[in-house]
Amino acid sequence: MLVSWRWLSQFVDTQGVDPLQFAEKFTTTVAEIDDVVQWGFGLRDVRVVDVIAVAPHPNADKLRLATVELGGRTVQVVCGAPDLRVGLRVPFVPPGVTLPSGITVRDGEVRGVASPGMLASEKDLGLSDENAGLLSLDGCTAPAGTRLHEAIVLEDVLYDVDNKAITHRPDLWGLYGVAREVAAMLDKPLKPFDLDLVLGTTAPLAIRVEAPDACPRYLCARVANVSVQPAPVDARLLLRRLGTRPISNLVDATNLVMLETGNPLHAFDARTLRGGEIVVRRAKAHETIATLDGQLRQLQTHDCVICDAEGPVALAAIMGGANSEIRPDTTELILEAANFDAPTIRRTAMRLGMRSESSARFEKALDPVLAETAARRFLKLCQTWNPEARITSHLADCGPFSADAKPLSVIHTTATYLRERLGVTAVELPDAWLDACLTRLEFRVARTGDALAVTIPSFRATKDIKIAEDLVEELGRHYGYDNIRSEAPRVAARPPHTPALKLLERQVRNTLVHAGLTEQVLYAFDDEETRARLLLAEPAGLTRVAVKNPISVQHTHLRRNLLPNLLAVAEKGLVQGDDGQPARKGLTIGVFEIGRVFVPEKSDDRGLPPVLVNGTEAELAAYTAGMDSEMLRGVLDARSGTKPLPLQPMHLGIVFAERLGGGAEGTKLVIAPTEVTHRLLQQGIAMLNHLLSWLGKQPLALLASGPESSPGAPDGSPTWRSKLGYDLVASTGETIGFLAALHPRVRIALDQPAQAVVVELDLRALERVPAIVRGNQ
Amino acid sequence: MSELPDWQIEIDGAIGRWQTDIDEALTLEALRSLEVRALGKQGEIPGLMKRIPQIPPQDRKAFGQAVNALQTQAAAAIETRRDVLVEALIATELNDTSFDPTQSLAPLRRGHTHPLSTVQADIEEIFHSMGFHVLDYPEIESEFDNFEALNIPGWHPAREMQDTFWLDNGHLLRTHTSPGQVRAMHEFQAPFRAIFPGKVFRYEATDASHEHTFHQVEGLMIDRKVTVGHLLDSMRTLLSAILQREVEIRLRPGYFPFVEPGFELDIRCQVCAGKGCSACKRRGWLELLPCGLVHPNVLRAGGLDPEEWQGWAFGLGLSRLVMMRYGVPDVRLLMGGDLRFLSQF
Ligand SMILES: [Zn+2]
Repeated sequence: MLVSWRWLSQFVDTQGVDPLQFAEKFTTTVAEIDDVVQWGFGLRDVRVVDVIAVAPHPNADKLRLATVELGGRTVQVVCGAPDLRVGLRVPFVPPGVTLPSGITVRDGEVRGVASPGMLASEKDLGLSDENAGLLSLDGCTAPAGTRLHEAIVLEDVLYDVDNKAITHRPDLWGLYGVAREVAAMLDKPLKPFDLDLVLGTTAPLAIRVEAPDACPRYLCARVANVSVQPAPVDARLLLRRLGTRPISNLVDATNLVMLETGNPLHAFDARTLRGGEIVVRRAKAHETIATLDGQLRQLQTHDCVICDAEGPVALAAIMGGANSEIRPDTTELILEAANFDAPTIRRTAMRLGMRSESSARFEKALDPVLAETAARRFLKLCQTWNPEARITSHLADCGPFSADAKPLSVIHTTATYLRERLGVTAVELPDAWLDACLTRLEFRVARTGDALAVTIPSFRATKDIKIAEDLVEELGRHYGYDNIRSEAPRVAARPPHTPALKLLERQVRNTLVHAGLTEQVLYAFDDEETRARLLLAEPAGLTRVAVKNPISVQHTHLRRNLLPNLLAVAEKGLVQGDDGQPARKGLTIGVFEIGRVFVPEKSDDRGLPPVLVNGTEAELAAYTAGMDSEMLRGVLDARSGTKPLPLQPMHLGIVFAERLGGGAEGTKLVIAPTEVTHRLLQQGIAMLNHLLSWLGKQPLALLASGPESSPGAPDGSPTWRSKLGYDLVASTGETIGFLAALHPRVRIALDQPAQAVVVELDLRALERVPAIVRGNQ
Repeated sequence: MSELPDWQIEIDGAIGRWQTDIDEALTLEALRSLEVRALGKQGEIPGLMKRIPQIPPQDRKAFGQAVNALQTQAAAAIETRRDVLVEALIATELNDTSFDPTQSLAPLRRGHTHPLSTVQADIEEIFHSMGFHVLDYPEIESEFDNFEALNIPGWHPAREMQDTFWLDNGHLLRTHTSPGQVRAMHEFQAPFRAIFPGKVFRYEATDASHEHTFHQVEGLMIDRKVTVGHLLDSMRTLLSAILQREVEIRLRPGYFPFVEPGFELDIRCQVCAGKGCSACKRRGWLELLPCGLVHPNVLRAGGLDPEEWQGWAFGLGLSRLVMMRYGVPDVRLLMGGDLRFLSQF
């Protein structure tokens, strides 16, 4: 979100503050500023002129000659702008001036006619990309010849505040909220809004809020005798540099007030509201609305719509309807200033892919109080820009909020607690400073000695501030985290615990790497393309965990074995070469991975705190005692509904592969030479023995098993084993994994003639293999 | 003057012949066979003794002495000759300059630890040395542990921000290592310190700086009266150890539902020493990790009373750290399995 320094300065005295140092301070106190941009500098020689005569160019159809009044003298320049006409006020760039774009205006001829200077568009002046016509200064009252930067607001600094840094701060989605923080930061007063209005006494129209959960507050007013014109030049340029396209005074006023207060507004053409009523309700099934971007939108029953007597006229908080928008001939408008339910708006905006400035704000859970501020700001602005306009109604206020305005929440805490969390003393952060800081941020502080009762202002109460720790943050960031003494924690010296499996994992990794293997860290997802191509499948009856929203059709399931991914990596290595060895016959590859696999069979881990799974009622009551309703509901849902997590054993997989054929043009060999297969098997067995020896474990027995004949393997009998396959059996009788040559059909499916031997075992089972008995002679 | 007996003449002559043969032996092997022929059990010199019966009795003593003398002389001559030959060989070996050290056999096959494992092991060692448990928690978590227990209720936008892989069993692939916080609180008695590194998953499109699977390290300290001051000290110390240099850090407000107050931690840009450069986008600071004081709701979910216990927590991007340390330009290289990449580590 962009913040204008000049606009900000209308609400806070920023005299003497360096705009760049300000950005740094704002970043550490409030929210990160991504970028600082200067706008409208380098234009001090540009002047305001009035066009007093327009004549055709003798040598060019598209060019004309403009005579302009420059304060006591006139100048004739050539101009190509289509909107040039007598009576226009525009900026004039005298010859010799270099514009921010780098262009220097010359005192020369254009197609044979002298043109000492030029009339400028917004783009010419570097104010925006708008280049369709001249920058119109109509309404600017400075005398002709005045320097432009003295006639209108220029020379601004724009701060790009990181939107992600303010998702939890609905109050910062309007300039005024930012100004409030800046006022607190600079310890300066915040100028209040002038909201004094003369309102009418009648109702604007009939209003029914039928979906009070979706729309806590709906304010309406009727304004008559308006005329649609361009907004004043300063307002148009302000919108422009904040990224919003100026449209007309009425629409621009809604946008400007949204940017200022943070509360989006909507203006309807009063003529178009059929039946003279507004109904706020959820959409009906199969209902549609044509939004003002020209699209027909299919609605669902949880969407919130604004309707007249006949149907939807706006998609609440997201976009107006084409049937009710402000038109050039609008003379009477109905203003909507509402508060909508954040999840409702977010859901609809996401589904329709219609995230707008408006929906982005409502999604943050706006303060319902703000809607009235915004309504009054709009009406005030409307009258300022349109002195003939009359507010013919009162400000109607509907919805549950206005009916039962809740008292503001209060946090009870102590100054000592707040200081303790920061790690500061009462000398460093005295009571008076603490109270003043919170007060500047518009908290109400009632102090009784050390005890504090802090009332949360409505604009911070929707989701941001709830507990004492939130106040710790308010104090900490304004006190300055840099001012907090860093202090070494005092902790009891106890030896840390490292799980045995973690230690085993490290030993296995180091041993295998030292023995010449390369470690892999691969995805938890199987690759279905590889599995299909290499005929890798789980044996009948064994399933894998499926992903509901896979990132691609290749990644629909979680791996139940490490080998498919590992084999694919080895296969690629045989083509690309490894470690400087070229990819030719005899290239051998040794890779391994230690990682989790996923077995749908249930574990006893429910992914819940133990007290929720098997705690007594009393334990459960103690556990949930301090929880708010949201947490409590989550706890109860989880307790009743959650199924156990799948087993997630840590596996070790090893692949030894050797390339058989020649280069890429070599034919696939159907038969792997026996000596190659035997050598690879021996290599695998030697590696296992080497590993067990380093681990101090007894050797494993190799129990021959053909395909489909190893029920004792940790995950059944993978189909990729050839008859040269062995279960790895500990002296306890436990099968901890297997070692096998590839099944010939799998081998032939490899994209290179190659042979491979694969090992996969369960690390937890490896941990259980008995240790070597030492000390015997 | 009496005439010399025949045997005397023969033995005197033999000395001369043996000496000549020995001096002419050009190799140790020739010398050895000469030695066998002269002095071996079946050798010619010991063989002379067999002629004792034909020697007149009064000469026998002299004959015996003469043969022994011959034997001693021959043995001495052989030893002398052997020394000469050995010296010559040593000289030859020492004078050999024909070796070309630039020619060598094919390199020995070495293995490669994955850079993620290397960096993770370094970090584990640093934390272990400072009293942190090093733990490993599941990659599939329940919705409760991944969200509710971390103070992220169902309506919360963070649930969309962290686009999640959902599984057919109603569970999910953890979107951060933070669920370990609540698990650790239940597993260990407070106070304790722990880290839990591992894979995390985000449902998002991949590019050079985004992966749907990446690695994090979560850190957690639970104790009485934990303060922001403690967090500052711990993070400075730990990050200096991890980055192997003194780092300057700063905290600024950051929003994460499971910490309050929550921070983004920045480190002073090393490239420009804080003056602002392209590496830090002219800010002088690099955003490194989110951290904060553990939210009371998370402590409650962990079965701890927030009045009694507090804590700090952080989440460090391990994949990013690997990329920073080794200058890896594309995060997808880390899990791409390409041996040409991995063999560089
Ligand atoms: Zn830098």
